[in-house]
Amino acid sequence: MSAPILRALAFIGLAVLLAFPLLVAGAYFKFLLILVFIYSIVAIGLNILVGYAGQFSLRHAALMAVGAYGSALISISLGSIPVLAATGANVWIGMVAGSLAAGLAGAALAFPALRLKGPYLAMVTVAFGWMTWKVLLNWTSLTGGDLGVASIPSMRIGSRTFDIDAYYYFAGVAVAVAFLLQRNLARSDFGRKLRAIKHSEIAAASVGVDVHREKVVVFVLSAVFAGAGGALFAHVENFINPDDFQFYDSVFFLLAVLFGGAGTLIGPLIGAAFLTIAPEMLQDAERYRLIIFGVIILATLYALPNGVAGALLTRLPLEQAPRRSPRSGARSGGRAPALAAVAQRPILTVSGLAKAFGGVRALADVSLAVEAGKVHALIGPNGAGKTTLVNILSGYYRPDHGHIAIDGRRTDLHSLHHAAQRGVVRTFQNIRLFGDMTAREHVMVGAELGARSGMLDALFNTPRRRREQARREAIADELLALVGLAAHADLPGSTLAYGHRRLLEIARALAASPRALLMDEPAAGLVAGEIEALGTLILELRKQGLAIVLVEHHMDLVMQVSDVVTVLDYGQVISHGEPTAVQRDPAVIEAYLGGADLRSFTFA
Amino acid sequence: MAAAAAAMSAVPAAAGDTVKIGFAGPMTGPVSAFGHEIERGMDVAVEAINAKGGVRGRKLEVVIRDDEFDPVKTVTAYRDLIERQDVVALVGSANSASMLAVTPLLNDNYKVPAICVHTDATAIIHNQAEASGRDNYLFRLGMFGSGQADFLVDSMVKKFGLTKIGLLTWSAGYGQIGRKELTRRLAELGLKPVADETFETGDTDMTAQLLKMKEAGAQVIMHYGTIKEAVAIFETRQKLGDPMIPFVSSWGIAVPALWKAAGDLAEGTIDSNVVTTDGPQPPERQAIIDAYHKKYNREFDDPASFFDAYDAVMLFSIAMDKAGFEPAAIRAALEQIPSYRGAGLVVDHPVFTKDRHEGYSLDDMLLGRWTNGKFLRVGYDAEGPFVMPSEGVKKHIDPTTFGPK
Amino acid sequence: MVFALQIILNGVATGAVYALVAVGYSLTFTGMRVLNFGLGMWVMLGGMLTYTLYVLWGLNIALAAPIVIVALTGLGVICERFTVRPFLKAGSEAWVMATLAVGLLFIDFAELIWGRDPLRVPGYLGQAVVRFGAFALYPQQILIVACTIAVFFGLDFFYYRTLFGRAFRAVAYDPEVAELMGIDARRFAALSYGAACGLGGFAGLMVAPITLVDPQMGTTLGLKAFVVPILAGLAAPRGILVCGLAYGVVEGLVSGYLFSGVRDMLACALMILILYFRPEGLFGAPSVERI
Repeated sequence: MSAPILRALAFIGLAVLLAFPLLVAGAYFKFLLILVFIYSIVAIGLNILVGYAGQFSLRHAALMAVGAYGSALISISLGSIPVLAATGANVWIGMVAGSLAAGLAGAALAFPALRLKGPYLAMVTVAFGWMTWKVLLNWTSLTGGDLGVASIPSMRIGSRTFDIDAYYYFAGVAVAVAFLLQRNLARSDFGRKLRAIKHSEIAAASVGVDVHREKVVVFVLSAVFAGAGGALFAHVENFINPDDFQFYDSVFFLLAVLFGGAGTLIGPLIGAAFLTIAPEMLQDAERYRLIIFGVIILATLYALPNGVAGALLTRLPLEQAPRRSPRSGARSGGRAPALAAVAQRPILTVSGLAKAFGGVRALADVSLAVEAGKVHALIGPNGAGKTTLVNILSGYYRPDHGHIAIDGRRTDLHSLHHAAQRGVVRTFQNIRLFGDMTAREHVMVGAELGARSGMLDALFNTPRRRREQARREAIADELLALVGLAAHADLPGSTLAYGHRRLLEIARALAASPRALLMDEPAAGLVAGEIEALGTLILELRKQGLAIVLVEHHMDLVMQVSDVVTVLDYGQVISHGEPTAVQRDPAVIEAYLGGADLRSFTFA
Repeated sequence: MAAAAAAMSAVPAAAGDTVKIGFAGPMTGPVSAFGHEIERGMDVAVEAINAKGGVRGRKLEVVIRDDEFDPVKTVTAYRDLIERQDVVALVGSANSASMLAVTPLLNDNYKVPAICVHTDATAIIHNQAEASGRDNYLFRLGMFGSGQADFLVDSMVKKFGLTKIGLLTWSAGYGQIGRKELTRRLAELGLKPVADETFETGDTDMTAQLLKMKEAGAQVIMHYGTIKEAVAIFETRQKLGDPMIPFVSSWGIAVPALWKAAGDLAEGTIDSNVVTTDGPQPPERQAIIDAYHKKYNREFDDPASFFDAYDAVMLFSIAMDKAGFEPAAIRAALEQIPSYRGAGLVVDHPVFTKDRHEGYSLDDMLLGRWTNGKFLRVGYDAEGPFVMPSEGVKKHIDPTTFGPK
Repeated sequence: MVFALQIILNGVATGAVYALVAVGYSLTFTGMRVLNFGLGMWVMLGGMLTYTLYVLWGLNIALAAPIVIVALTGLGVICERFTVRPFLKAGSEAWVMATLAVGLLFIDFAELIWGRDPLRVPGYLGQAVVRFGAFALYPQQILIVACTIAVFFGLDFFYYRTLFGRAFRAVAYDPEVAELMGIDARRFAALSYGAACGLGGFAGLMVAPITLVDPQMGTTLGLKAFVVPILAGLAAPRGILVCGLAYGVVEGLVSGYLFSGVRDMLACALMILILYFRPEGLFGAPSVERI
């Protein structure tokens, strides 16, 4: 289905929804739609979490419960203050407070859990859901236990209480706002960042994305949505009890997101609508209803893994990737990195580094210095510790002994993104890209470190956000031109040829304005012509004053571009110096071959 | 504005059509047995009424909706039943929380009467409308929270002579309501529970709780909970050995499923209830019991639900016969029924009055004892409590053990 | 003192059940980095199947037990093939939903086949209470502890003394390298999933006489058993045994000395604390991802 048809359909649908209360008397359908709106708000929040950030919350209904109970209890107790009760402000305050409380709960959950790999967030949400359930049931003096909270005040403006029509329009507006916020987020650099994290946390971190912080932020946002939905729910129903927020309700929201299409904009709306309305229509099938339902859902998951919306749309996700803007022409050459004066003093120094994994000693007493405007090659047989060293230099591992200094100052690099902030960026032996995001988007994500606009700017589409996007687009276009990928800028990264993917990774790394670039076997898998182009690129970067550490097996390339070569074997430095000297060093020859002349040997 | 529209759409159907009575309850899910039992009670009653020509020449019809024991769905279902199905009366849902959710809707918006048959919560009947003197559209047949607690405590203290009562209640659901009411009634009698223990859903071991009961010298364990945990209590009790403290419970486990699940372990257990179907019965009730077996070819899942639903429909038909089919008129007529001899409820005084919407009073409640798989009504004579396994045979019970004397 | 000891004894038996179910989570996770969020339903299926075989059809338990294990293992392998593997593609999170959905479907099917009422399964060693001094246990409880310990010893033996087990650990550590060595990682993943389901069924068989079996029995049990691998570490089977037993004992003691309501909240709070301070679990080793 193409975009114009979809837009027309959406317009018609919107018109029907707007006119609905005037067309239909009676509360049954209106109420059903209000529920759909409320559930959609929660589903949108969950979609942002699951679809964009790739995280899982298995107990989102518990966050909705926090919003609902928070809003209900606060508005009831504030209702005893006359001025608030008279204006109906007690309910408005309650709803805001409830939503924020849910956000707080989300922060408390996500902060510890998201530091870890694996399904820990899902597990923590399970624990939280269980705990919430117990609190709701057992803390009867606060929550009313099983009998819940009754007589929750309806929303009011002044003396006018909301009737079902008013609730209908309010909920409709609320879900429209939620939808717009989601769309703003998806089309922003923040949204791109989230998708990048979903595809590869490590690659995102390597260019300066604070993955943990962003995951927490997204979870909190998702929790606020859930809490807002819950708060609205409480005041529409005027009665809540723990049965409304059970495990099965969390499953409902997850199903809504996945069935509708995770990572699409209208997916959560489709999912929430279907899952709310369909069972009502199937009332007469009685005891088989839940089974039919479950089977339909499984079949859809199986046959439509991208959900209904994903199947309907021609391109996933709905948000468009920025295309080349007419303003920025293709500028030749790159831009000069931050350091104008090329200091001779080494940018990156390590001394006495040691690292062991269990009983395996990967590095022992390694020291070297990397200077700006120089290419420092790191060679050695497999297992010599080269990648370990790169991992330490880029902050992924902490050394057991020894220290790292940047610009002469001792620094403790505690993570990939911390290293990137300090100017040390790396590429990977196994290329890590961001899936089907376009080449341009890749490099835009790489420009994270100069960002001045955050999630709130993204949500509300502020001018600052738009300036940020322009900045990143400009950087992306320049760097793609630099590495020779300008013609491929709008292609998904996953469709690029292997050699181009390498180049893309390098362009992305450069977007982080590194002062030291660590490249881990960039020539691996490249054909001769591509290796030559790579060499040219490296020399160009060297000319611009970048300090480059090059881990490589391709001796021709090493000889061609390096200023200094360090040779590792069994975790120790066995040789160091100019390329030709190292090439003739008997210790090096011994390590590689046990005797033969290195000159006549190339590693493919 | 919307309320008026809603009320308008609840106009009863034209003469000649069927008159619809609605029910929204758990038709699927873990407690769906109750939903289906209520449906059967309504069906049997409607059949009997229609066989006699209906009410005022019009036939009755039952409309069922599944609310999955979920209050939100109950609200949706009620809107469906009232606005689109045009029901003029309702049998209440099986979930207290559901009824609490719909009570304001029925009293303030729709004004359609409902007789609850399986829900305990006091606030359903004693609601805002009652408190402010407006018309109360909620009625109840069956046990209710405070009344049941009064009945249990009074029976144990006054009829069985036991004063050291240990409470063992479910931490969720009606368990905590029960606990509060029981404690209240004990206090009114100048007593305190000697032990006050709780358990969680799905608990399989009650060792800690029962050991504490023993140490406190409890003469009887008073329980509010569901079957699964009750069986765990029985098993733990047997494991801990003599002396085995007798066990009395609310009507939550007074269903045949208890014996199916617990077998002999349940022997001697006493529950409160509003009706029994085992043992000698008055002939009218026996006729209905036989008709049930014949029509459905099964045993009861919950006799109380069945009979109360039956009685609810009967009472509606009496009210409709008197006052017509306007929901408000039906409501008013319910308060005017001078006496009723029904399947479950048998009273010679007005069933409901303006101030009393509980059909059952303490005098109508009973205790039943699980004897050999049968739930037999407990009677009292000069020698003390007894049960009648068959016509004319009296077996007395030892009040300190609940075993045979 | 007697009070505390009786509770502890009981807690060990309860904890053995948690450990038995918990090891199912661990098996699936080590085998394929997947958490079977529907594991509790497999326990329930095991219990229901046991009811049919042992009570309805009157089979000897020595015959019924292997049938249950093999049947559920087979069913687990089939489920892995059709409801998990298709969703393991990169970037897709659907496997979480799939394992859940399968579990929910099981509940519905179980209700249809066996009804909703709780069913009674008599103990396999009879119902006579075993008394020693002031303490009492049901023979089933002793059987559970014995079987659980046997299972864990068996797993230990399997992991560290058999070729198959070593291959399994290799796959868990690094599936790519294992494949290079000629091990079919996918088949192992499927088998680990199936074996975990079979173990879950065995747990259901063991626990059926203790608790009544009904279609809902898996939800709470699956949840409680979930806490154990978090405390112990998802990949630390020995630790899981210890933590499972400890959890049962602490549960009983808290119920005994405080009250039951606070018990589960404490468990959740503990779980979150452990995840914060020692995410690899009390017995796990911090994992280092290689890049």
